[in-house]
Amino acid sequence: MQLALSEDQTQVLDFIDSLARPYASLPMHDVSLALESADLDAALVESGFLDVLAVEELGPVTAALVVEKLARLPFAVEAAASAMVRPLIDPDLPRPLCLVEEGRTGGPVRFLRPGASVVVVGLSGVRSFTVDAGMIAAAQEDTLYAYPVAFLTGLPDAMTVHDVDAGEVLRAWRVAVAAEAAGLLGAALAATVTYVSDRKQFGRPLATFQGMRHRLAEDQVITNSVYWLVLRAAGTGDSGDAALALLHAQEAAKRVCYDYHQFLGGMGMTLEHPLHLWTYRLKLLTAELGGRGEQGLAAAEALWG
Amino acid sequence: MQFEWTPEQDAFRHKIRDFLHTNLPDDWEKFSEHGPASPALTAFAREFCVKLAEAGILFPHWPVEMGGEGLGPWEQQILAEEMWIAGEPRGGQYMNVNWIGPTLQKYGTEEQKARYLEPITRGQSLWCQGFSEPDAGSDLAALRTRADLRNGNYVINGQKIWTSYAGLADTCFLLTRTSDDRKKGITIILVPMDTPGITVRQIPSLIGEGDIHEVFFDDVTVPETARFGDEGQAWEIVAYSLRNERLGIPRFTLARAALDRAVAMLQGEGRFSREYVRIEAARCAALCEAAGTANYAVVQKRVDGLAIGAESSSARYATVMAERAVCEFVIEFLPQALAGASPYLKMHHQRGIVAGVAAGSAEIQLNIIASDVLELPREPR
Ligand SMILES: Cc1cc2nc3c(=O)[nH]c(=O)nc-3n(C[C@H](O)[C@H](O)[C@H](O)COP(=O)(O)OP(=O)(O)OC[C@H]3O[C@@H](n4cnc5c(N)ncnc54)[C@H](O)[C@@H]3O)c2cc1C
Repeated sequence: MQLALSEDQTQVLDFIDSLARPYASLPMHDVSLALESADLDAALVESGFLDVLAVEELGPVTAALVVEKLARLPFAVEAAASAMVRPLIDPDLPRPLCLVEEGRTGGPVRFLRPGASVVVVGLSGVRSFTVDAGMIAAAQEDTLYAYPVAFLTGLPDAMTVHDVDAGEVLRAWRVAVAAEAAGLLGAALAATVTYVSDRKQFGRPLATFQGMRHRLAEDQVITNSVYWLVLRAAGTGDSGDAALALLHAQEAAKRVCYDYHQFLGGMGMTLEHPLHLWTYRLKLLTAELGGRGEQGLAAAEALWG
Repeated sequence: MQFEWTPEQDAFRHKIRDFLHTNLPDDWEKFSEHGPASPALTAFAREFCVKLAEAGILFPHWPVEMGGEGLGPWEQQILAEEMWIAGEPRGGQYMNVNWIGPTLQKYGTEEQKARYLEPITRGQSLWCQGFSEPDAGSDLAALRTRADLRNGNYVINGQKIWTSYAGLADTCFLLTRTSDDRKKGITIILVPMDTPGITVRQIPSLIGEGDIHEVFFDDVTVPETARFGDEGQAWEIVAYSLRNERLGIPRFTLARAALDRAVAMLQGEGRFSREYVRIEAARCAALCEAAGTANYAVVQKRVDGLAIGAESSSARYATVMAERAVCEFVIEFLPQALAGASPYLKMHHQRGIVAGVAAGSAEIQLNIIASDVLELPREPR
């Protein structure tokens, strides 16, 4: 057991910090619901941070750390699937990468746009295609999820078949989503802690009310647990660990999204405070891969058969 | 005890449903995604409330001397439920008939009654409620917007926030400070929103356009006769009017309707067979029904003419739990609903997420339940 960051990992995270600094705070005038930055995306690709999984001394734990860190930014970045799932399928698939489950393609697909690679995972194996505008239906303009999302109108007859185990892709997918959730949980917690420490009512900071302190403290505990379960799942490559990590992340997301919007009061309903950027992404991730029930069944299957 | 509605109450509910069926446009569900305070819904409500008035269901629960039919609290509840399930086609005018009218009747001067009641009964007025301020939310008594009496006029300076409907309202039910006494220094002034010196800024929000605002008062001058009640009487009057609306909006009904809709969509897609989905749906239904009965127990007290106390906080918190569960259920199992696939479920989401904040936060309700229902010893100060 060795749970400290390696020197290489520390260096990677420091690099990301400096690269992401210009994107760490919000443009004040921008109150759009889904915030993205093409420049940030390009910088990440160029610097190779989305390809660390294949680097021998870095590997999947570092990839998870990268995804977790990037998810803390107010800007949405398609990093999780590209950094943690793509290397298993075909490292050269064009980004963004959109993962969908066979038989469950009716939901909003994150980052879906013309030119994206759609990967369909299920009983028929792992297949992909490059999507064109004709197969995309736009989501409602004021969709709240804080990710760019769109709908697939169908699947093409011909897709590229990938020679990779669907179960293995599913495992990596679970860890990737959980890693993204871990970062979102961390950022939402930090923003809430700052707010309730500054905001005063009844002549004292909100954070001095014990009812709130206890809930926030529990929120910290589950946020921290998700972080560690994600890193362990990335490290062990075990499918039970992956299911547990995503189950815990989705449970945590449900809980904290409610708490944090409560704690911000009216401010939490505005687009002027960035909280919604993290919470509404988290909310959408609670639906990923069928939600908690599906992860629970997968975990039980892996643990006890 | 009896848990069924009387035939008269059923008939009343059907009368409202039939009315809605006949009078709401075909594209109403999509339309109602515009929030209750949006320009579109406000304009719609101006016509719709006229029709309600003509059909005798704008304020049937008002006493006969106010022009109502003197129907009881159960009928008021039924009316509110049917309107809220339908997406509240009355827009902000629901406040007029629930508490502004009755409060005007009880505390208003003859001049105020003459001026304000009649447009309410015609379905033509829109009020906003200027209570919260940037530094006075949960701690409402900390409000600072000043009203200074000078030469027979009140001169008002300060700022309100989160004010629903302010963008289009014609009158503000405004809480102001007239002396330093925390609660006894607060005074209500009825301020026409077109008075010079008022600036309204809309706050972009998760809950749709036009809902919440900041309102700035800069040397806003109104005659002394605009004062409502005596100086320092605001706390008492607000307690009375909120008692009239203690339960607020019957949110649990829409939560239940949204849940039923979500389940129907899942069934339509053949996705309502997994046990965990069914159990979660049932859990949501239990929370909705629990909130319903808790609310009805409070209505019963009104029917019996009893004072309503902290049990209304319990009912409100039960409602918050139901809203939370249904909002979460929809996102977990039907995320597409909020991205265009179901205007009704999106409408529910945007109204449901505020249940624990608007009109006093859920945590404040918990404090009240702890102190006044459980009578727990208070935290030492
Ligand atoms: C959609 C919407 C519509 C509204 N419409 C109106 C309107 O028309 N007119 C109007 O005047 N106001 C309106 N409000 C304001 C509403 O009444 C306030 O938002 C509410 O009272 C909470 O105040 P706040 O937002 O300042 O939150 P704060 O008072 O800052 O509280 C933030 C959070 O802190 C916690 N908290 C506070 N005190 C305690 C405590 N003692 N113990 C434990 N936890 C605590 C709670 O979780 C609370 O939610 C509206 C709000 C919303 C969201």
